Amino acid sequence: MASSSSTAFKTFSLTNDVVEVSPQDEIYRFDPEANRTLNREQPWARDPHYFKVCKISAVALIKMVIHARSGVPHEIMGLMQGKVMDRALVIVDSFALPVQGTETRVNAANEANEYMVQYIQGSERVSRQENAVGWYHSHPGYGCWLSGIDVNTQMTNQKFQDPFVAVVIDPNRTISAGKVDIGAFRTYPESYTPPDAGSSEYQSIPLNKIEDFGVHANQYYPLEVQVFKSSLDSELLGLLWNKYWVNTLSQSALISNRAYAASQLADLAQKLTKAQTAISSTKAPAPSLKDDKQARVCHSCQLSCDDILTVFDIQKEEKKKEDQNQLLKSVRDSDKIASEGQHGLIAQVLKDVIFSMRPQDAARSEVSEIMDTTMAIG
Amino acid sequence: MSAMDTDELPVVLPPTHTSGLSLSLHPLPILNISEHLTRLRLQTNSSLPFALGALLGTQNGREVEIVNTFELAVGEDGATVDQAFLIDRKEQYKQVFPSLEFIGWYTVASRPTAQHIALHEQFTAYSSTPLLLLLQPSTVFAASSDLTAQTLPIKAYEPTIEIRDRKTRSVFIEAPFTVETGEAERIAVDWAAKGGEGDNSLESHLNSQRAAVKMLHDRIMLLAKYVTDVLADQAVKDHATLRSISALIASLPASEHRDFRDEFDTEYEDVQLTAYLATLTKSASVLNDLVDKHLVLTATREDRGPSAPRRRGMGGMGMGMGMMSMGVMGMMGRHGDWDRFH
Ligand SMILES: [Zn+2]
Repeated sequence: MASSSSTAFKTFSLTNDVVEVSPQDEIYRFDPEANRTLNREQPWARDPHYFKVCKISAVALIKMVIHARSGVPHEIMGLMQGKVMDRALVIVDSFALPVQGTETRVNAANEANEYMVQYIQGSERVSRQENAVGWYHSHPGYGCWLSGIDVNTQMTNQKFQDPFVAVVIDPNRTISAGKVDIGAFRTYPESYTPPDAGSSEYQSIPLNKIEDFGVHANQYYPLEVQVFKSSLDSELLGLLWNKYWVNTLSQSALISNRAYAASQLADLAQKLTKAQTAISSTKAPAPSLKDDKQARVCHSCQLSCDDILTVFDIQKEEKKKEDQNQLLKSVRDSDKIASEGQHGLIAQVLKDVIFSMRPQDAARSEVSEIMDTTMAIG
Repeated sequence: MSAMDTDELPVVLPPTHTSGLSLSLHPLPILNISEHLTRLRLQTNSSLPFALGALLGTQNGREVEIVNTFELAVGEDGATVDQAFLIDRKEQYKQVFPSLEFIGWYTVASRPTAQHIALHEQFTAYSSTPLLLLLQPSTVFAASSDLTAQTLPIKAYEPTIEIRDRKTRSVFIEAPFTVETGEAERIAVDWAAKGGEGDNSLESHLNSQRAAVKMLHDRIMLLAKYVTDVLADQAVKDHATLRSISALIASLPASEHRDFRDEFDTEYEDVQLTAYLATLTKSASVLNDLVDKHLVLTATREDRGPSAPRRRGMGGMGMGMGMMSMGVMGMMGRHGDWDRFH
């Protein structure tokens, strides 16, 4: 590119001919030839479960999170540029698209087609060679999963421009949990039935979205999300902490996310009202003894294998029961809300003690009191 | 590289000239420049490739905030900014982030030179005073393990005009900056720094609070030591610093205002009420579980299937739930739902 042929700045590079590339930075290297070969072979077309991991660079992640947060309460969307490495989709960069409200419109991205094409052409001019390999959008306050419209969009994408991944970010839950709430997904081909859906990690879905969530849950699967950064990023991040630590103290999740906290409580109240009617149908699992099998005794612990099997059965049953029991789900939701609230409060009380209490004040009791509550909730 | 500018005047005015800008810089632009440099290093196989980009942010009087960047294309000669590309990209960013303006430009170098002045002239069409952000290459990183002693290898410069020998020329003044983050940005940066590890457990939350409080403590100890040294005549008395320290102390306690206290207490009670209601919900669920198990047990004893009619204290259950819902509604300031649950 222009930069390498520049004569004016060549003197810069001449003094340092040998470049040491840390192994950590190799992931940023892009080989257009290998990329073309891979795109011709399309190993992902043969295995609906081909991709296992989605690796996202620090800059791509931060850009997406900031974009998602800037859109609240609206949904926003954008594209991600990257490549394929083995079984992983590697996202090196992302950019925003001028569309809002992606949940109600099918293929909202099409409206931004011209923008998309222009932006990607521009990227090539500044030595960003990676293709678009995915799209991201936000679910403010309702968790990371694919809605019916999302599933359709992603299926189309996988049909016509695979490799492609769908990333969903929840900016509200990011703030309330103090941790980036993100998910990466691939849809299955239309004709494909996944072997066993297997209950993925539980997440709270608001009542008005539960149907949309449940109906399409078997049409896609999540990828493991990993974050990577360059060696220079690592050094800079370490130094940045020396500058922005103040914000850890000055920001309060309780205050900045108040509207979301209230909406969570309202949703929980609705769910509990619903649970009240469903509660009479919950059942304890009946312990079933398998008489047809001979009891094999485990010598060391005097426990028969059947006993152990029964225990497993019960645990499995309980797991299944948990999936159905609205009350148990609500317990989890309320636990989460309460402990996040406590976390926010701890920060507030700490600040109050540090900045507002005179040394002789009885500050100590207040802190220990709140710590006890938090411990109790877990 | 010094060979070409030794015969020229330095383009940065000495530190006696101070910039009046109040400049804040976000982590994203810093990491963007870092990514740009890493990518170019791999593509060009040189350790100091020429990286050039634009800074986006907001400007309000003398207050400037730099929040984002994009890469710039350079013409064949390597010294001419591709204006058409800049305008296109600027418009594209305007569509998605309407509040962001063109603030200046960035590059990678150890210090500004005449070349940077030449580049600077090409940006004046988009901003009357385009700022320059310089990422200084890795030589700056000391091998010290004490991170607090180190500063970011980043310098910001504000352009100005110097009159010398009756001629005017463009020069730079170094502008001090602070690092600012939005809340979501901070969480994302923290998460990336930890490599995506870490959870939202009480332990990790307390750890990050502790780290911040410790940092505060370290800085206060530093100030205390300085004051002690001044009192013992072992340090130079800097009146500006001493005045700042005095102002800081005078501002404590930070929040004795009654309205603040009221709101703080309300917040406190709301959160504790949530905790109480969560515990109540849990108890209700445990009780429900117990009733379920009891039913199975008695059913087996009486030789009936687990599907036998259930006798249970739904009244009690309903009470608990009702209280939960009611409490929740009450917290949100809606009291009209009382009757629905009783
Ligand atoms: Zn969606």
